Amino acid sequence: MNPSPKPQPDAEAGRYLTFSLGDESYGFPVLKVREIIRLCPITPVPRMPAYVKGVINLRGTVIPVFDLRAKFQFATTSYGERSCIIVVQVATPSGENTMIGTIVDAVEEVVHLTTADIEAAPDFGGAPDTQCILGLATIQGGVKTLLNVEKIFLEDGSFSLTSTPKLEV
Amino acid sequence: MLRDNFRKSSLLYLPKVAEIISQLGEELAFVAPNKDAGLLPVNRFLMDLEELAEHVPPAVAAGVKAARGWLDEILDGPAIFTDKSIRDLNTWHAWLTSALLAWERGTAMPAWPDKWDESRPAVAKEELVKNGATRFPLEAEESAVRLNLPDDLEFLRAFRDESLELLDDIEQCALVLEDNPTDVVTINSIFRAFHTFKGGAGFLHLEALRVLAHDLESLLDAVRRADLCITSDIIDLVLSGADALKQFTREVSAQLQGENPGAPILVPTRKIVERVQSLLRGEKTLAVSAAVIADTSEALTFAGFAVETSDPVETSDPKAVLSKVSPTSTDTMGESATARAFVKLDTAKLDNLVDIVGELVIAQSMVVQDPDVQKINSLQLVRCLRQLSRITTDLQRNAMSLRMVPVRPMFHKMKRLVRDLATQQQKLIQLVLEGEETELDRNIVEKLGDPLVHMIRNAIDHGLEDPADRAAKGKPEFGTIRLSASHQRGGIVIRIQDDGRGLDRERILDTAIERGLVKASENVTDSEIFSLIFLPGLSTVEKITEVSGRGVGMDVVRRNIENLRGKIEILSLPGRGTTFTILLPLTLAIIDGLLVGVGNDRYIIPTLSVRESFRPKPGMVSAVHEQGEVISVRGRQTPLLRLSRYLGTPSRAINPEDGIVIVVESGESARGLLVDALIGKQEVVVKSLGGAFAKQNILAGGAVLGDGGVGLILDVDTLVKLPNHPVGVQSPNSSSIL
Repeated sequence: MNPSPKPQPDAEAGRYLTFSLGDESYGFPVLKVREIIRLCPITPVPRMPAYVKGVINLRGTVIPVFDLRAKFQFATTSYGERSCIIVVQVATPSGENTMIGTIVDAVEEVVHLTTADIEAAPDFGGAPDTQCILGLATIQGGVKTLLNVEKIFLEDGSFSLTSTPKLEV
Repeated sequence: MLRDNFRKSSLLYLPKVAEIISQLGEELAFVAPNKDAGLLPVNRFLMDLEELAEHVPPAVAAGVKAARGWLDEILDGPAIFTDKSIRDLNTWHAWLTSALLAWERGTAMPAWPDKWDESRPAVAKEELVKNGATRFPLEAEESAVRLNLPDDLEFLRAFRDESLELLDDIEQCALVLEDNPTDVVTINSIFRAFHTFKGGAGFLHLEALRVLAHDLESLLDAVRRADLCITSDIIDLVLSGADALKQFTREVSAQLQGENPGAPILVPTRKIVERVQSLLRGEKTLAVSAAVIADTSEALTFAGFAVETSDPVETSDPKAVLSKVSPTSTDTMGESATARAFVKLDTAKLDNLVDIVGELVIAQSMVVQDPDVQKINSLQLVRCLRQLSRITTDLQRNAMSLRMVPVRPMFHKMKRLVRDLATQQQKLIQLVLEGEETELDRNIVEKLGDPLVHMIRNAIDHGLEDPADRAAKGKPEFGTIRLSASHQRGGIVIRIQDDGRGLDRERILDTAIERGLVKASENVTDSEIFSLIFLPGLSTVEKITEVSGRGVGMDVVRRNIENLRGKIEILSLPGRGTTFTILLPLTLAIIDGLLVGVGNDRYIIPTLSVRESFRPKPGMVSAVHEQGEVISVRGRQTPLLRLSRYLGTPSRAINPEDGIVIVVESGESARGLLVDALIGKQEVVVKSLGGAFAKQNILAGGAVLGDGGVGLILDVDTLVKLPNHPVGVQSPNSSSIL
């Protein structure tokens, strides 16, 4: 018995790039992904939230790099052989396009998902991060969480990060 | 029954009339001189209009009747259009359009030009030709111009771009003529510019403009042929003509950007055309400026500009004074003959190129420094690599120079400003320009205009005295404003110098104390007092601007300059004048930076803000109770900031003696920054950190370093203005950073 109509997922059918964080599997819409690069030296930016790893030089453009693990508050481990940076293009609330690098544990594959594969994110009981979940996809027995790139890194509705308050006594 | 209702309100006929007039306009757009194409449709539409005569306001009906007369003339005569008849019809059409608008809005009809009532005597035409001017029946109201946006979009865009340049040229040339009224080359180039403009306007059927441009062209032609000599009247006319055309071009621009597309544009050209024509007829001008000249001085100078003027009476006899124009300046002709060709370029492409070249330079140095490559023992390879680095360096220098433009155009705009203000305030001012060739990044030049206007305006408004006052003080009647640009200290120095009354030191200090900006007991130096005028609190006070001058928005001026990573300094001597010195980087894209090490990270401090750097000796640093640390630099206690603590990275320099102190300054304040090591000094290409870091103010940007990594550029302004840390501050938890 299904008491309420099934909620519609935000995710559209199409191709998704899947990657792993720890034991879990996630996906970005492929259209948002600009490139995947190997982990390179990252220049840390002072007084930023912990998930902000710093900035890198992407062929002449300086782009910020965020750690998805830290963002999702997973246990931090050191980066492994397969760790890499997925560069995604996001539209800022002000309508501009900007590039952001996200560190993930490993890139898996590009999968094609039909509407039948995708279901809406269940209500996790007030978990804060459900907003950035487009939907869940079940393929080959595994569940992949499809992420809304635009919403993951929004802080108070804006991409702009504020310096962490001065740590003073 | 229905017809009766229509008759009751003639306004109901408006749409019909408007439709015919717009169709008529379309036909007129296609007629060509010496052809009969379009003659019959025009005639037919005119007949349609005549049929509606009793339903339209009398003025419109009369207008239709007049056009009927002209068309009959054509039909009876050669049965082809001439330049003149086309122009007449177009102007008539424009008049009718504005009349229709007045009808629709119920406002007063554009006045009926009485000349249209006369049959047009051939004598008048001949007289006109003789004068080299179009004596066109002047529209009593300004004629409206309507753009045909859908069809002419591309042409209009091109026209707008070209016109803006032409009009700027005209303005600058006109000002050159003021200094040198006999410069044939300049007269020619104004003539050509108006001619080109006329062509464009004619092509797009912008009739009122074409007429104006044509008349001004005729005026210049008369000067060129030495029938007239340059007077300040002529220059005024050329300038106001250019202004009117500019105004129109701006309207076109607005419509191209989608504001009120298709709305008629009113161009206030009538008065100018009248003045031009009366000048060409050799009449005294309507302008009052001639009288002013006669008053001001016999030295034929006007408002500080050496303008050759003739007595207004003499204007009627041009031959008496005309010999002024002679090909004496042939030498300048040779100069302009070698004019270089230019390509217009999208700035985004340029920035992109500079970025890519920057990357190339880095890639090149990475290849050269690669350990594997260095192991190869080959003379051939070494030669090739050397060649490669030479080429990349050249390429980078060239790419950078692409963005550089001379300051001349901006300086020349100031000429116009000075001229206008001098006339307005009846002051005698001489603007001396120096170093116009100096090149600056175009982004800087663009943003420097407003501050310059502001400062020059201030200098004229408040700095320079009236001629009488100056004479009383034993100064020359002519006030001098010297605007100069030069290379200095690895950047550009722009100096605005006036020989006016100077800043009122006491007055500024009093107001500052009154406002609580300065404590009365404080001992302040002159330069500290003068820099008070940059404070917003002070500049908005009306009283002080009246008395001491300066200050209207000087805070804005300073902010603009600081945004350009520049600095501004003031020097003022009472009764002798004031000098503003603006120090700017050559380009916004590249800065000279000090690369410093803090913990494991590298940061860049812009060299322009660095006053000095040294390794402190024991005892130089002392803790002040609840005020943090200070370091004594040349006997002055300067607050010290330990960068590692502030940035949250573990430092190797626990004792200040282990590190390096870099004294940075911003505005009037300075601060010592303690870093671990000085790594080097290098030019870096500044990159934006992007939206994610837009809100923080610790970093001013990033730069790609020689090894391909990113170095962060510290925002010195923020660091200097930080409140002092208490000494015992714990360093931030660095694990949260990396």
